[in-house]
Amino acid sequence: MFELDVATRHIRSRRRQTLFSIIAVALAVGIIIVFMSMMSGYMSILIDSTIENQAHITVMPKEDEDYIHLYHGLEKHIYGQEGVEALSSYFLGEAALQHEHDAEGVLLYGINPNDENRVVNREKDMLTGEFTSLENPGSRIILGYTLAKNLDVEMGDTVTAQIPGAEPADFTITGIFQTGTPVDGTLGFTNLERLQDFYGAGDVVTGMGIRVSDAYAADTMANKIDRETGYDAVSWIEQNAEILNLLETSEGMVYFFYIIIFSISGFGIANILIMIVMEKVGEIGMLMAMGMSRRSIMLIFLLEAGILGMAGVIVGCVLGYGASLAIASITIPVPPEMYFGMDHLPVEIELKNFISASIFAMVINILAGVFPARRASKMDPVEAIYSV
Amino acid sequence: MSDIPIIQIKNLTKIFGDGVEIKALDGVDLYIKRGEFMSIIGPSGSGKSTLLNQIGILDTPTSGTILLNGVDVTKMSDKERSRTRNKELGFIFQYHHLLPDFDALENVMIPLLISGVKSSQARKVARKVLDEVGLGDRMKHRPNQLSGGQNQRVAIARALVNKPSIVIGDEPTGNLDSKSSDSIYELLRKLNREHEQTFILVTHDEQMAAKTDRVIRLVDGKVVEDLRDGASVREI
Repeated sequence: MFELDVATRHIRSRRRQTLFSIIAVALAVGIIIVFMSMMSGYMSILIDSTIENQAHITVMPKEDEDYIHLYHGLEKHIYGQEGVEALSSYFLGEAALQHEHDAEGVLLYGINPNDENRVVNREKDMLTGEFTSLENPGSRIILGYTLAKNLDVEMGDTVTAQIPGAEPADFTITGIFQTGTPVDGTLGFTNLERLQDFYGAGDVVTGMGIRVSDAYAADTMANKIDRETGYDAVSWIEQNAEILNLLETSEGMVYFFYIIIFSISGFGIANILIMIVMEKVGEIGMLMAMGMSRRSIMLIFLLEAGILGMAGVIVGCVLGYGASLAIASITIPVPPEMYFGMDHLPVEIELKNFISASIFAMVINILAGVFPARRASKMDPVEAIYSV
Repeated sequence: MSDIPIIQIKNLTKIFGDGVEIKALDGVDLYIKRGEFMSIIGPSGSGKSTLLNQIGILDTPTSGTILLNGVDVTKMSDKERSRTRNKELGFIFQYHHLLPDFDALENVMIPLLISGVKSSQARKVARKVLDEVGLGDRMKHRPNQLSGGQNQRVAIARALVNKPSIVIGDEPTGNLDSKSSDSIYELLRKLNREHEQTFILVTHDEQMAAKTDRVIRLVDGKVVEDLRDGASVREI
């Protein structure tokens, strides 16, 4: 193809400018791939930690009811659903915890520790003690790290729980947990039966946590449970709708910056092409005189934009891949319990990021070529030939 | 030489400018026969190049017609004009306008490649034409490695490679010393005799013009003299 031949010769004749414009595109592509990889990494770590630290589906009492009364039957029904991996019924109640002169308002969470561990791995959050110490009905309690600090208590100490209309009850501290979230200052785990007793509510629960095999299908499963049982079943996706929306919005904002970065590199390409067009005016006129169509003239310069863009994209992909690997390998000296247990930047190298950054770059580069290409194709051959 | 006119120009007028109008061509009538070797002369601004660009279908007239092989080129679409230029016309300008990134052979191949001839075939034909203009040993040289005269020979080879019926030259020797200039003239003359193509040359050089078979003199966009072999062709 003659047009391609002319395009490559033009590019090769301006080696230095060509190199700079390729570097500009490569840098833009590389930077954006690193950005995208980091965004993907943060997204997946955020979603993973949400999925890991929360029941995928929470079943709550029917409207106008405080408790799920016949929960053993409901447990059986839910267990019968395909994809349900674990289920933990719980009793949640508010109380005041007192130790000597300190008192704190808390949420008491009565559970069967083995069931609870299968829905959300609580064991991994334990700083001291074992979560399964709540297995046998007894007045044991596991407190959040901040709560224990505020009450000035340690392992083995006793705290007194009080609620209106009931006798105060003493609980012995058998463990302290830390999740790195605000619940560390408000939550205490106890045995389910003990808490049911304490509140005098009988054999009822206030909710159920469910873990399913496909967390992303939790929405569908929640709707099914909701429909079939009449209980209010909410998925983690619905519960975190706001934060997920926020993530989507921020992704949209990031795309705006991608456009700006690519446009800057696109200007680099437009610049070199405008220079080539200006330099080759006589040549363009002569090609027209020899019968080259305006379309072919336009094609020459669009091809040049395409070649420069493609070279930049290839170099940029390699650059982005290398930089992503390098960033992923940097270890950050932070305590492992902070930032979701991360000790390095979350970088997720995904093919789709490379593909979208490349397509994005190519579209903008070709667009950058349109103006100089049109300018060349619209030239008057007589003016062009006699301009030299 | 055949008597059939290859070019018939009727009442051709070209006016430039929006505000102040300049009449570059003023009702030119001209018949050019197939195989003629002619020159157009005249002072600067007389409309020589404008007339040549009209014949070369590089520009459109304000009024009048140009028939090329009986077809009115002024009514052609942009695409048809490009195709006709490629098939029927060869151009030699004062500046050679060779593509600096291509060697001599590749430059000569261009009109063939534009018309869709395969590269291998184009190479073969271009080589032959370059041999004919005496540059068989300079095929791989780029324009910056050739002298002015040599570059102009490459430009001539390029103008001839598609076997056009008309070759137009706008001051083809204008940038050359007298020795190169003479040799280019001789080459054009030889090619005209061998290929029976029509050559229309615009020149300042009255001596060179005198050597051509027919001389048209333009003044203020009008043909004021039309001599063939020194004798007036028609009453003006």
